[in-house]
Amino acid sequence: MNGLSLLAIVLRKELADALRDRRTLIVVLISSVLLGPLVLVALSGLIATLEAQAEKREVVVSGIEHAPALRNFIERQSYVVTPAPADYEAKLRAQKLGDPVLVVPPGFEAALLRGEQPALAIVSDTGNKAAEAGAGRVQRLLAAYARERGALSLALRGVSPQLLEPMQVEERDLASAQGRAAQLTGMLPFFVIMAVVYGALNAALDTTAGERERGSLEPLLANPAPRWALVGGKWGAVFALAMLIAVLCCLSFLPAQWLLRSDTLQAMFQFGWVEAMLFIALLLPLAAALSALLMAVAIRCKTFKEAQANSTVVVLAASLLPLMTLFNQTGEAWWHAWVPGLAQFTLMTRVLKGEALAMQPVAVSLAVCTVLTVVSVIFVAKHLRAAAVR
Amino acid sequence: MIHIDHVAKRFTAARGRSVQAVADVHLHAPDGCITGLLGPNGAGKTTTLRMLAGLITPDAGRLAVDGLDVATQPRAALARMGVLADARGLSPRLSARENIVYYGRLQGLSRDAAQARAEALADSLDLKPLLERRTDGFSQGERMKTALARALVHDPANIVLDEPTNGLDVLATRALREVLRHLRSPAGGGKCIVFSTHIMQEVERLCDSVSVVSHGRTVASGTVGELLAQTGERDFEEAFVKLAFADELAQTERAA
Repeated sequence: MNGLSLLAIVLRKELADALRDRRTLIVVLISSVLLGPLVLVALSGLIATLEAQAEKREVVVSGIEHAPALRNFIERQSYVVTPAPADYEAKLRAQKLGDPVLVVPPGFEAALLRGEQPALAIVSDTGNKAAEAGAGRVQRLLAAYARERGALSLALRGVSPQLLEPMQVEERDLASAQGRAAQLTGMLPFFVIMAVVYGALNAALDTTAGERERGSLEPLLANPAPRWALVGGKWGAVFALAMLIAVLCCLSFLPAQWLLRSDTLQAMFQFGWVEAMLFIALLLPLAAALSALLMAVAIRCKTFKEAQANSTVVVLAASLLPLMTLFNQTGEAWWHAWVPGLAQFTLMTRVLKGEALAMQPVAVSLAVCTVLTVVSVIFVAKHLRAAAVR
Repeated sequence: MIHIDHVAKRFTAARGRSVQAVADVHLHAPDGCITGLLGPNGAGKTTTLRMLAGLITPDAGRLAVDGLDVATQPRAALARMGVLADARGLSPRLSARENIVYYGRLQGLSRDAAQARAEALADSLDLKPLLERRTDGFSQGERMKTALARALVHDPANIVLDEPTNGLDVLATRALREVLRHLRSPAGGGKCIVFSTHIMQEVERLCDSVSVVSHGRTVASGTVGELLAQTGERDFEEAFVKLAFADELAQTERAA
């Protein structure tokens, strides 16, 4: 019998073995397949609330009776003026009031007419996100009122209002709809990378350190099968499991979008079959490399527990490296493609933004992962015999 | 036929310390015989048998199975051997049958042939009621029988057993003895059986010839009768102690 068919026999056995470990599978499925969509849906709920508030045309004012002209202006902008509760400060601190409060001092109208530059206060709390978000809106409203007052008094003196605005400012946002959405959906690649890690972890440890701990590695090596076939079959099973979980995780985001509560997010969130397939294609080399690397770490450990402790380094690296892109404000760097995990994260973010994938980083990350896989598998094969008898 | 020719192995541990696990062990096991490798704990029995299975490369000496050198043709040698190693772990999530068939497939049997062998071995080892159960909750004896069936799945001409009676109760030990006697007989295939133990009674009851190992060296070999004659003892336990602990005995005598 040739080596490849022996490899297939080992692969089938290890896969069947791992799939029978129902309890572990269920935990992995819940943590990596369900968690992503759940967080996405929860986040969409938060965004929907913020959107509703942005659309709310309401200003909470304390002492509006001191400024009848301002009230007239606010109402002309089709806003509703609501009197502030007496204990608004306490309520803002306790996050019970979701709007900033505009405070008008007594004698405001008279001071304004005399040209004394009376002061208005916008009371908010940086710890109160909803009130913070509304503060900008109130500020813009007040600026518009100030501009109108100024323009009117100049017009009375025969000055053209255009002198007050010698230039016009126009805003143009270069980000595509998908680009904006990627700020929110940027965590998707993070979840699928975690799915790969946790899909591979248990099987990688069980086929190496677990086999050692059970004492089944020594009898396995008493078979006349070449070592590369044994290791290759084990690696193939771990890789297949990692990809199975990754595929399920990617596909779980497809129905999750129907549950999105925010209309804008739903309109911007572009994750269809094409994106899912691109994700899976990008994850293949990462799953191969991580499976082999975890096995290489675990083969040196005598027990499953020891292997778990040692593999924490790999798990942490795979989960924390993508976070570097969040802290690093300079954007994509050339070396990102050379770091497994980070490379896939960057490429998947590009897919989400609807940008084309450049050949070079794809080729580099594929090459790095292939080398890592081959080196790790050879390492495991070299250590297999020593691991069996120690 | 198994031939172990003056093998030696030294292990180097961390910080430069080293242990001479095997210094000079030799053994000749012909077909149709049960050959015992008798020695106290730590005498080098397991290391010797691991060298025979190709798991450890010897520093010196030669091991051959049916004339095939383990060093140069390890896979061909392994194909002619059924090894019940010191570690005999099973895959707990597979049934006894799946465990046995898996090894049959790795030995190059077709699926049907492996299944047929599993059935036949289950019959002779009294494994039938356990065959479809997962090995997770098996007792020591049930595990040993499954591991033995797994090692014999390819019907090897040579059988190597490392302390097979460890952890077995008296009935299981008797049953195992019967199986080994059957395998030795012409009806059972006239196998060459090498079996290591530290229990004298096992050797007395079962072995056609014995190799006594102590401190990594073969100190005596022959039939039980020959060893008794050599030491001038009537009790095999006394003979074994005289052979295996000669140095220790001399020291205590000098001290006294």
